[in-house]
Amino acid sequence: MSSLAVESERGAQTHPDIQSYGEVNVDILKMLSRPGKLWWFLFGLATAGVGLLAFSWGNQLITGIGLTGLNSPVGWGVYITTFVFWVGIAHSGTLISAILYLFRAKWRQSIYRAAEAMTVFAVMTAGLFPLIHLGRAWHAYWLFPYPNERLLWPNFRSPLVWDVFAVTTYFTVSSLFLLLGLLPDIAAARDQAKPGSLRHRIYQLTSFGWRGTDRQWHHFGKAYLYMAALATPLVLSVHSVVSWDFAMAIVPGWHATIFAPYFVAGAIFSGVAMVITLTVPIRKAFGLEAYLTTKHFDAMAKLCLVTGTIVLYAYLTEFFMAWYSGEAPERQAFWNRFFGPYWWAGWIMLTCNGMIPILLWFKRVRHSIAALFVISIFINIGMWFERFVIIVTSLSHEFMPFAWGTYRPSVTEMGIVIGSFAWFAFWFLLFIRIFPPVAISELKEVLPAPLSRSAREEAAR
Amino acid sequence: MREGIKRRDFLRVLGVSGAGAGLVGCSTDEVQKLIPYVTAPEEITPGVATWYSTVCSECSAGCGAWVKTREGRAIKLEGNPHHPISGGALCSRGHSALQGLYDPDRLTQPMRRSGESYEAISWDEAEALLLEGVQGADSDVVLISGRTGPTLTGLQERMIEAVGGRRIEYDAISEAPLREAARLAFGVDALPSFDFESAGIVFSFGADFLGSWISPVEHTRGFARASGTDETFRKSRFVFLGPRLSLTGQNADEWVPVEAGTEGLVALAIANIISATGGDAGPYTELLGAHDPQTVSDQVGISVDTLHELASLFVSEGPGLAVGPGIAGQGQNATAVNLAVLVLNTVGGAVGRTLFPRQAHLSATTAPAGDLLAIVDSMSAGQIQALILHGTNPAYTLPPAAGFPEALASVPFTVAITDRMDETASHADLVLPDRHFLEAWGDSNPRPNLWAIQQPAMRPVPHFDSRASGDILLSLARGLGQDLGAETFYDYLRMSWLDLHAAQRSEEPAEAFWHRALREGVIDLLTGDQEAPSLQVPDRALTFDPPALDGEGLTLLVYPSSRFGDGYSANRPWLQELPDPVSKISWHSWVEVHPETASDLGISTGDIVRVTSPHGQLEVPVWTYPGILRNTVALAMGGGHTRFGRFADGRGVNPMALLPAEIEQTSGSLVHLATRVVIEPTGERQRIATIEGSSDQNDRPITPAVELSALQAGQLEEEEHSEIHELQAVGGFVPVPTEGRPEDFPLEGARHGQYEPEGYARWAMAVDLDKCTGCSACVTACQSENNVASVGEEQSKMGRDLHWIRLERFYEEVNADEPGPVDIRFLPMLCQHCGNAPCESVCPVYAAYHTPEGLNAQVYNRCVGTRYCANNCPYKVRVFNWFDFSDVPEPLNWQYNPDVTVRTGGVMEKCSFCVQRIRQAESRATLDGRPVRDGDVVPACQQSCPAEAIVFGNIRDPGSRVAQLSESERSYRVLDALINTQPAINYLRKVTFHPVEDIHV
Repeated sequence: MSSLAVESERGAQTHPDIQSYGEVNVDILKMLSRPGKLWWFLFGLATAGVGLLAFSWGNQLITGIGLTGLNSPVGWGVYITTFVFWVGIAHSGTLISAILYLFRAKWRQSIYRAAEAMTVFAVMTAGLFPLIHLGRAWHAYWLFPYPNERLLWPNFRSPLVWDVFAVTTYFTVSSLFLLLGLLPDIAAARDQAKPGSLRHRIYQLTSFGWRGTDRQWHHFGKAYLYMAALATPLVLSVHSVVSWDFAMAIVPGWHATIFAPYFVAGAIFSGVAMVITLTVPIRKAFGLEAYLTTKHFDAMAKLCLVTGTIVLYAYLTEFFMAWYSGEAPERQAFWNRFFGPYWWAGWIMLTCNGMIPILLWFKRVRHSIAALFVISIFINIGMWFERFVIIVTSLSHEFMPFAWGTYRPSVTEMGIVIGSFAWFAFWFLLFIRIFPPVAISELKEVLPAPLSRSAREEAAR
Repeated sequence: MREGIKRRDFLRVLGVSGAGAGLVGCSTDEVQKLIPYVTAPEEITPGVATWYSTVCSECSAGCGAWVKTREGRAIKLEGNPHHPISGGALCSRGHSALQGLYDPDRLTQPMRRSGESYEAISWDEAEALLLEGVQGADSDVVLISGRTGPTLTGLQERMIEAVGGRRIEYDAISEAPLREAARLAFGVDALPSFDFESAGIVFSFGADFLGSWISPVEHTRGFARASGTDETFRKSRFVFLGPRLSLTGQNADEWVPVEAGTEGLVALAIANIISATGGDAGPYTELLGAHDPQTVSDQVGISVDTLHELASLFVSEGPGLAVGPGIAGQGQNATAVNLAVLVLNTVGGAVGRTLFPRQAHLSATTAPAGDLLAIVDSMSAGQIQALILHGTNPAYTLPPAAGFPEALASVPFTVAITDRMDETASHADLVLPDRHFLEAWGDSNPRPNLWAIQQPAMRPVPHFDSRASGDILLSLARGLGQDLGAETFYDYLRMSWLDLHAAQRSEEPAEAFWHRALREGVIDLLTGDQEAPSLQVPDRALTFDPPALDGEGLTLLVYPSSRFGDGYSANRPWLQELPDPVSKISWHSWVEVHPETASDLGISTGDIVRVTSPHGQLEVPVWTYPGILRNTVALAMGGGHTRFGRFADGRGVNPMALLPAEIEQTSGSLVHLATRVVIEPTGERQRIATIEGSSDQNDRPITPAVELSALQAGQLEEEEHSEIHELQAVGGFVPVPTEGRPEDFPLEGARHGQYEPEGYARWAMAVDLDKCTGCSACVTACQSENNVASVGEEQSKMGRDLHWIRLERFYEEVNADEPGPVDIRFLPMLCQHCGNAPCESVCPVYAAYHTPEGLNAQVYNRCVGTRYCANNCPYKVRVFNWFDFSDVPEPLNWQYNPDVTVRTGGVMEKCSFCVQRIRQAESRATLDGRPVRDGDVVPACQQSCPAEAIVFGNIRDPGSRVAQLSESERSYRVLDALINTQPAINYLRKVTFHPVEDIHV
């Protein structure tokens, strides 16, 4: 075979450097071995962060929600910002694992597991905030429709109740989807683990008796397909519902019909950026260069570019419509975002979300892992600030000028926000140590069929 | 190998968690019991309030008040509707009297000084010490008393006479110059009274008659009635002449900026012009001649044309009334300025029509501070052996330059009869806890014909072992061997009143008279008609030139606070947290500086500056204010306490520290307009505790106004009311046209619930912005009625105050550089009880919902605190309990209204239209077997408003006042056309004399 032909064959393959199936098992399962110093260090930091979260929240529960910096008119601040941030991040995981599965995108295999895990943990992190931001969190269960002697229902017209259903559904479906997809891989890990060890016990429990028979594979395939189909609409619906927390209000700067697609695009944008942020270090730390190639990062970068462009378009639409409306409160709300007391947040948002992703148009940038890592972090900073700008600046500058006011996050709030990142890291670090973060079985599906030794030697000549 | 959990393990886990869940249900709360009265006190029905008439003594106005008590506790003050001075209204200071009664920092026991500290002693011991001290002083005894009612004053005088000593009265807020001016002008040695209601035009030469001057509630009512536009388009005009727009100045139609101290010249010039066209100046003709417009114009910098215009207005739009200059303008020429204003009044025909020298305001203190300063000299010289201080705090209210605390050290025996260990009492040898006026007997004589009883509304608050000062004095007299005719002060008072009755020679039996006095709260004795006096020849020469000020820099104005007066009510959280009506700042002091001056000095609002006069120095944050002359700065009295109580100490600054202890020779009053100050930045800043976001309407139709001539021409009627098309889901998203009036609630297709709306009331309100003066009495009334918590300085700085109603204030036209229109608009903003409330649909747990009667209800115990409702409220009237603020120090909690829930932390609250009063009226109506009548339900804000600006009622009742007022062409609803909230509150536009740019509603 000529080298040119080999080259083109290489180009057509998603993972040209993986030689055999056995290699895959060894490489991936190697990640589950005894953790090194770096992992322990990071895990220690994450645990400390979770401690900070617990302490800050506990203090807030006992002393009062007044430990935040919130006030009238800014009733929502960094808690809701971070809530929307984490819910948004969750969506790209499902996009990659479910939607791209239905579209049969071949490049998703090596990243979708980590992405799906990111989704579940992001939803878990996001789910903390509706409790954290309540004035009387111990009555939070009143938002659920449960039978009670006073015959009270929650108010189904309220977007917060829709959130309850959306986030709960999303968490349930995502975790089930993740668990389902993990079954064969957990079984692989179980088979490799020392019988009687704790690890073995965990894998035994969570593999649900997977034996890899034909029948099981058949059921697995169908179940996975249906779960993917079930999870798909959630990618669009959940963040639309979360965006309606704002769009259903009358606040200038919130009340816009573009919010649902705007937020969904933004969610994918920030979520894919977070996947990049997570997978670049994992790739480095575990030597997975063959599994996570520039092709994958290129594809993710393109996804970022598309969604980032949609987000930029949404910004421009918002500005235009505010001006076009001719209404003073609307126009001034947007002017205030960039020239009012929070001008710095507005410009961070525009720069990180509008300017920096322009770099992704260039192939050289898309193929540079280091550049993508840096850009992904800026994107997430920008996306966090986007929610901050939407929430805080709009609330601080509403209809009644005499009531305008500003808000400064307090130490407790920052402790809880930073703690939430630590909480996410805590679960993610645990996950990558216990369960295979790259999908072994699915990966094997996209590798070319194994050649015999003689055939390989033939091809190399 | 077996996979999965074994059955045994599963059951084990189930058992433990089940048992655990059961334990959680047990409560460790103590069981609390309610025990009914065994022998019920007469007149007390638990759950039904008992009311007592009394007189408020927070300031010198002498407003009659009704005290509402529940189960023996005073919980609310309201104005006595039968009393001509208050007319049913009451100001913030009046309401706060309850926090004075229940002040946790009141003295609990008599105290005696021992060394550097004080020890508590019994009353027997205290009275023995008092007797000893007074006896030992022979006749070198002086009694310094604050303002007291006529009977107590009489008792004090008799008692001090009996020991051969002297009594002097002292009040930091004393209109001695006006009294002296009235004596010089008319031969009547008393403050005249003023009838603003009869005035067609008012000139104020700096007097804050709506905020703090002499009788603000009475003046506000009269002024609002005259200047509130009625159906005949009659409206009085108000011109303010002075260096600083006080709250009163903000209500003016025109501002003639005048340097402090030159008001007298301006008054004389205007009087000169009027007298040239026929007004009779009598013995002052020559004086007026010397102050012709050209001369005065050159002196004060106001054009001759302006002076002529003013003179012409005073006559053509009369009856005119001129007042001024008040305490801040009290300089070395204070009496002269007051005299000039009285001359203007006479020449302009005000005497007998709007100004009544013989209908004297008798209850105001007009004692000159000079008397006290003379005593201070005697004290320092060792001539005083015993000093009795009653209800006065000169160590705080006098400038430090007077040396009062130092002089106290030279007096061998000092006793303070007071309610707290204040700055003065902490220098005394013996401190005796006085009673609060709400738990003591007394009386008031605000006009020659008006007499009112001050009766206790409850037993003395048991936390404080206090005694009435009258009783203390009678006991002291007895100890000195004097029999003053009564055992207790109650007996003495009764005797005194029965004498008063006897002098009337009426047919009414004495006891009946006494009971009538107690029940109605005021007696109107006929004093016979009196002719209006004319100008007399003055018996002393005065100079009318502006005073020379010490120091250099900016002119300093030191004015009485409309919240604290001279600082007396500073230890009350309600008043500390009440945004100052002018600056909207709470809890700390500020210095008012013109924005251009501030910019020249390189400072802005929030910068802490050092204010230095030749007599003292302070550090205080800046607040820029366009309503003050560029070369003038102003500081309010009442801050900077050091020993007054936990809410007052260490807060703000006391501007008296910048003043000299200087006396105006003519009247003996303390000079306030005495010095200039230098302002320097310190480099530090602080967060300002303010409710003010922006005072610019920013192109939104929030407080549109209308010019009087446009109103008369019917231009408002011609204006097209933009029609709202409400998109309703029922019926397939068809737009339904509506005007969104309160009575239209609920719109067909937007019905909530299964009830027929026609069978229910629709509670609504009309607020007349042409009458509202921005005094903020409604804010404190609401706080008192609804158990609204105070959050403190730090929380206020964060923007977390809990007020259910706020006075928004917008600057439309303010020019400190030249005479012209002033247009400052007030908007009382409270829950609008929207028919299409944005807050209701977003609450996840239905804590916010709409009642069939149109109220937007907030269910406190259902609220989980998501704060979505507050975010969605466009008016920002929802307030959140960020912490649990209900735990207040005893006995402040005694004030709580039992009919209203006390909210805990994490819960949202807002105005409920006083739903407890609505329910009470409805219950009463049901018991009486009749429908609720218009006027049966009066929410606390309406009840208290001195300007009668708020009207509440059932708008479905066509005969109700609120329905009639809402029909007015001036009525509009805030933001309704923009966002279709369908508020239940109709505001009536302010009417101006100058053209206004109306932002389309």
